[in-house]
Amino acid sequence: MNDPYQILNIPPTATDEEVKRAYRNLARKYHPDNYHDNPLADLAQEKMKEINEAYDQIQKQRKAASAASQSYSYGAGDYGDGYGGSTYGAGRLQQVRMAINRGDVSLAERLLAGVSEHDAEWNFLMGVVCSRRGWMDEAKRYLETAVQMDPNNSEYRSALAALTGAGYRPEGFRTFHTGSFDENACMRCCAAWSCCTLFSGGGCYFLPCFYY
Amino acid sequence: MFGYIRPAKERLSEHDEQLFQTAYCGLCHELGRKYGFAARFVLNFDFTFLAILLSETREPECTSCRCAAHPCKVRRVMAHTGALEIAADHSIVLAWWQLKDHIADHGFLKSVPYRLTALFLRRAYRKASVCVPEFDASVQRHLGELAVREKACCDSLDQAAEPFAALMADIAAVAPDELHRRVMAEIFYHLGRWIYLVDAADDLKKDFASGCYNPLRYRYGLESGTLDEAARNEVALSLDLSVRRMASAYALLERGAWSDILDSIFYESLYGIGNAVLKGTYHKPPRRTHFRTKPEKNEETV
Repeated sequence: MNDPYQILNIPPTATDEEVKRAYRNLARKYHPDNYHDNPLADLAQEKMKEINEAYDQIQKQRKAASAASQSYSYGAGDYGDGYGGSTYGAGRLQQVRMAINRGDVSLAERLLAGVSEHDAEWNFLMGVVCSRRGWMDEAKRYLETAVQMDPNNSEYRSALAALTGAGYRPEGFRTFHTGSFDENACMRCCAAWSCCTLFSGGGCYFLPCFYY
Repeated sequence: MFGYIRPAKERLSEHDEQLFQTAYCGLCHELGRKYGFAARFVLNFDFTFLAILLSETREPECTSCRCAAHPCKVRRVMAHTGALEIAADHSIVLAWWQLKDHIADHGFLKSVPYRLTALFLRRAYRKASVCVPEFDASVQRHLGELAVREKACCDSLDQAAEPFAALMADIAAVAPDELHRRVMAEIFYHLGRWIYLVDAADDLKKDFASGCYNPLRYRYGLESGTLDEAARNEVALSLDLSVRRMASAYALLERGAWSDILDSIFYESLYGIGNAVLKGTYHKPPRRTHFRTKPEKNEETV
């Protein structure tokens, strides 16, 4: 195994508090919520495993209280790749879940297209398929419809919540969003780096370097 | 390309700002070196970003030189690397096909400037298309698909953005290994989607005036060239979701010397740029406060 300190990106001289902070920050970065229905979820899962192992190893080496090391350990099964346990489970939609689990998104999509009854689960699975493909707008619409049709289903609600969740940002970055229209906090850089490229439609025919 | 991607300058240290500039100048010089002077006009921020993403993680080697755009100033320029060459090849090919698109879209007279540019760019394109034949074919195919969807007045943002996003994702084929290919494909897909949607929001007024296709118009059934508040929030969220996908893919990469620049792009500036475009403040001229030597008049008294 690699040097656990290197994995957590801290020097071996780091204090217990620093180790914990580095671990927590990385765990936040690769948290399953950030990779829900994401095609790269398996890679994030590997990273998380690596970080957990590194942290555990450091804790063991330092003989710290084991209770602390347990409390931040994240599970590995939460990356949104477990679609087997449906209570609906009948026929076609079960096949769709299996196709999604295998990562075969286009098969899942074809199967869904063949289902005529568009109930809550169908909308949910369409949302998952769209999310895997990166079709974020449609994913959100399908998941919203699913939640609307079956408001008590926690699986649908958590998928929608994960999709629209805040995501990870390192410490020091503001929680600013594209839709933060009321704030006056818009970066000055947008204006200061005024740009024009040759082919931007209307077209400004200047050497882009002049804008630097 | 469109040139929307820039780091949040106020976040960067002087060193990182300089580093970004060396990459920008490096790409310009690479275009000039490989494809001749005319090709340097293709330079833009988006492909600088691409070059940075593909660059090696250590600090790049730099040379100092003057150039036509800055005859009085000696600039630090990133020395030739494979990443710069890849960015140069791809930007020429994409610029060429977008130019062809513009020529097809405009009437004979209006397309004259584009035709002239194409004349200058032809040789560069021929050379680049030999270097990246798969990407050349992919761009052609995807832009064709885009034209079909535009003609059909596609009312889904995702379906309208798909061809351009998929085209960008194809750039990931140059990555050295499977892990990087997957991560880059995800970043570039959402980068393409984001650029397409930001550009659509940016051009909404213009497209309404000229009657051109704009996905936002059909998605939200707009009657005028402005988004109402609900629609604007929807678009903003949709852009956010793509930025988050990019950021979560980027988190899986080690970018060494480039980390701070890329952090500022993925965690801050993309949100800010999208916000400015949706607010309609994106194209405002820069405020050059340092040029004001005289005290300003008080605006309230005017």
